[in-house]
Order: sequence, then structure tokens, then C-alpha cells
Amino acid sequence: MSAATISSPRAALVGRRTGWTAAAVVALLLAVLLSLAVGARHIAPGVVFDALLHGGTSESAEIVRSLRVPRTVVGVMVGAALALAGTVIQGITRNPIGDPGVLGISQGAAVGVVLAIAFAGVHTLAGYVWFAFVGAGVASVAVYAVASSGRGGASPLKLALAGAAVNALLISVIQGLLTTDAATLDEFRFWQVGSIAGRSAEVAGQIWPFLAAGAVLVLSVARGLDALALGDDVAKGLGQNVATVRIVGGIGATVLTGVGVSAAGPIAFIGLAVPHIARAIVGTDHRWVLPMAALLGPVMLLVSDVIGRIVFPPGEVPAGVMTALIGVPFLIAMVRRKAVSA
Amino acid sequence: MTASLIESQAAAVRPGGYSLVRRGRASFLVHRRAAIASCVLAVLTAAVCLAYLCLGERFVAPAEVLNTLSGQPSTADFVVGELRLPRLVLGLMVGAAFGVGGALIQTVARNPLASPDIIGVSQGASALTIGALTFGVGSFSVLPYFSVAGGMIAAALVYFFAWRGGLHAARFVLIGIGVAIALRSVVHLFITKGDYLVAHQAQVWITGSLNGRGWDEAAPLGWTLLALAPCVVWAARAQRNAAFDDDTATALGVPLQRTRLGLALLGVFLASVATGAAGPVDFVALLAPQIARRLTRTAQIPLLCSALLGALIVVAADLPARLLFAPVELPVGVLTAAVGAPYLIWLIVKDRSVRGSTGGVA
Repeated sequence: MSAATISSPRAALVGRRTGWTAAAVVALLLAVLLSLAVGARHIAPGVVFDALLHGGTSESAEIVRSLRVPRTVVGVMVGAALALAGTVIQGITRNPIGDPGVLGISQGAAVGVVLAIAFAGVHTLAGYVWFAFVGAGVASVAVYAVASSGRGGASPLKLALAGAAVNALLISVIQGLLTTDAATLDEFRFWQVGSIAGRSAEVAGQIWPFLAAGAVLVLSVARGLDALALGDDVAKGLGQNVATVRIVGGIGATVLTGVGVSAAGPIAFIGLAVPHIARAIVGTDHRWVLPMAALLGPVMLLVSDVIGRIVFPPGEVPAGVMTALIGVPFLIAMVRRKAVSA
Repeated sequence: MTASLIESQAAAVRPGGYSLVRRGRASFLVHRRAAIASCVLAVLTAAVCLAYLCLGERFVAPAEVLNTLSGQPSTADFVVGELRLPRLVLGLMVGAAFGVGGALIQTVARNPLASPDIIGVSQGASALTIGALTFGVGSFSVLPYFSVAGGMIAAALVYFFAWRGGLHAARFVLIGIGVAIALRSVVHLFITKGDYLVAHQAQVWITGSLNGRGWDEAAPLGWTLLALAPCVVWAARAQRNAAFDDDTATALGVPLQRTRLGLALLGVFLASVATGAAGPVDFVALLAPQIARRLTRTAQIPLLCSALLGALIVVAADLPARLLFAPVELPVGVLTAAVGAPYLIWLIVKDRSVRGSTGGVA
């Protein structure tokens, strides 16, 4: 009797989580289908399936295979990377507004890329992704050091301000470099806003090892993040090595952000909104939250990208612009609900 | 004997640091430190202005510059009078407008972080201006209206979203940062929508730049600022009342809400007009009032000093922006951000002002 009453809520919880995860998978498949079908040329879902399964040489099949599939694959990877990074940053800073874009970490990676193109003569993604890692790492350490200095520790307000300051500083560095170096400007325009348009299949081929490495690092500290949520002292009491969790998680988040920015440019707010949605759905257990975020991040990015393709035809609005426009109302609602002001 | 006694008694009740100035029957108090600081800043600004007019791709001797300014014909008439002077004048006015605008908004919000470029006013002005450019409002004479409207809308949005039975300082700034990010995206939205020429124009403009600006941009800004001068004089007096806490002000019979609304409107207006003329020159509106207050050590932010400092910062930043990578000219906003961002970081690290301004929430 008692065993049944204890286990049945637990079974119900697992059942609910599995159900929601299945729903998220369905949502992701729908988003992928949308991304393959919608654009300057609308292609019927039947034709999309046909092109994927049986090949075919029609013009629509060519568009799907050579343009939309790579774009969609990169979108899925970048969305998952940024959502995972945001979840971990929120976990290790114990702070609801952790987002690589808002905190200036993406901008740090972008500066790394610009410096690589301008001074080191590196022009391949596999080459400058390392510079992006270094840039993201330096920026994240700097922002966290600034925000956590002084009394009161790293509050949301101080993190957001430190992020705004570092963002402004890095943007001015980028602008200064770009104004004086026309060739770099031309190459960098590609990233500036954050977009997944025109990415080739090679990009996806080059980023997946880094993405996998980052995901493994992040998943390995899932239990540690759960303990951290209870506070440093409790986490220590539970036998977690707090410093290790923070360092491993931080490296994972830096790698994921660097990969995302190298492939698509600084795209903000996926890392902010998705973790909150994931936690609202499956609870606070990071072993569920992280996979959920990895499923929902691509949904948000692909849907933003699809909306960007159809709002201002024939031009396309970069996905980074749309994610910000969708994400900011989310931030405002959160601040108003007082989730943030503590 | 009695006169000097009265004088010394009056001196005893006079607030510290002030001197009494009498002109016949009129008399007023002058804050000594503020007066000295203003004089020093004015001299410094004049010196930088002279250097600004002399230096460049072609060096012009100071004597020749002064000749041109006094209207005597000189060989440097074109370089100084047509190229450098309008840009300098625009820079001075933009800086002063940002300085005073920032000071007023910071006063009303009682928060050094509530400066127009952090809470989205500059971004709102940019967004609507570039939107107007994109959708084919060609004439430059109407663009300032769009800038002001954009800045006002942004301020209203932040106020609307941050109001929740009161204006909590931390919530206000956080929501301002969010609105600023959203509006920056709107700017990019319009840039992608516009044709190549507009996009290029807008790209330079959104960093804040005086490149290639002339009398056409300077004149409307000049008239606007001249028309606003009486309002600024009113603001300098009203500011003192607005700084009281709510209970004291109500007890003294100050129409607090109306005064604050007026000050905020004027501040947003000034910052938006300046943005319309030169783009969002980042951090000037944050820096100038804060430095001014530290220089004068007054309870309120001194408006005259803020204006002078704003002008000085913009001109002093535009000089290296012009010279550093000549013939390529950097946008002046790059340099003000390079100085302003570390200052903001220092404010956060130092912590006290962040804590103090947020009621201990930070």
C-alpha cells in the first residue's frame, strides 16, 4: 500500500516527463518540416518528403537538398548548443537571466572570430572556432568577475549590467576593426547579426565534434547543477565538488557558445527563454531539463528563422533579430513576475 | 556694524559651499565649486575646440583658424569653415544635449544607470529614424521628429512595463536593458529591409558618428536646443524639488508627479534630438552627469557642468576618431564606448552606486 502510494506519484512524474519529451520531439519534427518547406519558394510537404526519400532532380528537390537541409541542420545544432549553454549558465550562476547573448559571451566569441580573420589570417570555420572559444572564455570570466565583485555577489541586475558594458565595449572593438579593414568587414558581415541563412553542409560537418564534446561536458555535471540549485553550502554537504561543477560546466557552456557563434553569429535569447520553458515543463531535475532544452532550442531558432523568411518578402530577416524580438517580451514578463529582482 | 552682523548671520544659515552674489536688488546663491568647475571646463573645451579646428589631414595654424572664425578671408576658409567647423559645432551641441538629457533622466529615476543609452531611449530614436529612412521619408528636415517620437515611445514602453504599483529601480533598469535589445533588433530589421544605400548609411549612423555632417544637420538641432533653453532653466530649478523624497516634497507643496514628468519628458526629448542628429553616441549621457556630480560634489547633478562635459567628451573623442586611422574615420561612438564601458564596469565593481541606486536589491 505505502510502497504503491510512494511509487505511483513518481511513476506519474516520469510518465509526464516522458510524455512532454515526446511532445517536444514532435514539435522539433514539425519545426524542421516548416524550415524545409517554407521560404521564398513554398514547397509542399509531400514534395519535401519525396525529395528527401527518393532524391529527384526537380528544382524544388534541389532547393530542399542543397539549401534548406544544410540550413536546417545547422539551425538544429546551433539552437541546441545555445539552449544547453544558457541552461548551464543559469545553473552555475544560479541566476535566471543567464544567456550567452545578454551576458556578452557571444560577443566575446565574435571578437575572437574578427581578430582571427583580421590578424591571424584564418578563414576557415575549423580554424577560427578556436579563437571563438578563447573569446567566449575570456568574456565569460570577465563578466562573472565584474558582476560578482563587491558586496551582494552576482545579482541579476549586476550580471545584466556587466553584460551590457562588456557587449558595448566588444561591439566598439568590432566596429573599430571593421571600419579600418574593408576586407574583414566583407567577411564578417556574415555573422554580425546572427543568421543561419546560406550555411553549407560543411559547416554542420565541422561543428558537430565540438557540439558533441560540449554536450558531454554539460550533461556530466547535471547532478552537480541540481545540487548547486540548493546553494553552495548544501551542495558541498551533499558531497558535490562545487568548484569542479562550475569549471566543467563553464567550459562546456563556453565551448557550446563558441560553436554556436562560429556557425551562426551572436544569436541572443535562445539561451534565456528555452531553459525557463524547459524547467516549467519537466521540473528542476537537470537530467531532464538539459535534453528538453536541447529539443526546444532548435524549435525556437527554426521557427524564428522561418518567420524571418516570410515577414518581409523578398528579403529575409536574420534569425538573430527574430529571436530577440520573441525573447525580449519573455524577459520583461519574467522581470515583472519578480522572478528576477531578488 | 549691524549690516556686517546681519551679513554674518545670513552666512551662518547659508548652505555650505555657496556664495551670495548681489547685483543691485537682485541676489542669488552660487555654488563656488560648481562655478569654478564650469569655468575650468569651459576653458578646456575651448582649447580642445581650437585643437580640433587646427589638426587634421592638413594642419592649419591657430592664427589662421582665428582669422577664419573672425570672418577675415584666409586660405583655410574651406577646410576650417566648411569642413571642420560645422562638424565641431554639431559635436558640441550633441554632447551638450546628451549631457543634460542624461542628467535629467538620471535625476528623475534617481539612478545613474538610467541613462538614455542603457534603458533604450537612444535605440528607440534610432529605430524609428532608420525606419523612416527605410520606408522612404527622404527629407532630412523631418527625421528629427521621428527621432523624438521614437525616443518617447521607448521611454513610455519602459515606464509602462516597469510600473507595478511603483517604479522599482532594479526592475526599471533590467526592463530598460531588455527594451534596448529589442529595439536594436528592430533597427537591424529595418536595415535588412532597406536597399543597399540606406543600409550603408544606417550602419555608420547606428554607431554614432559625426562623419560628413554639415550645417544641414547642425542648424535644425541648434534651433531646437535654443527653443528648449528656457525649459532647461526651469529644469535646473525644478530639479532641486524633484530630488526630495515623496513625503517631504508633498509636505512642502511641490507638485511632485508633474515636475518629474516634465523633467523626464525634457530629458528624453534632448537625448532623442541628439540621437537624431548624430546617432546614439554611446555612454556620453551616462558619463557626463556622473563626472559632473563628482567634480562639483553637489547633491543634484549640475546641468551646466553636464552640458559642458558632454560637449567636451564628444569633441575630445571625435578628434582621435578623425586622426587615428586617417584617411579612414572611425565613428565617434566607438571611442566613447571604449571609454564609457570600462567606466560602467567600474561603477558595478565599486558596487556602492549600484546598490544605493537600487535600494539594496543588487
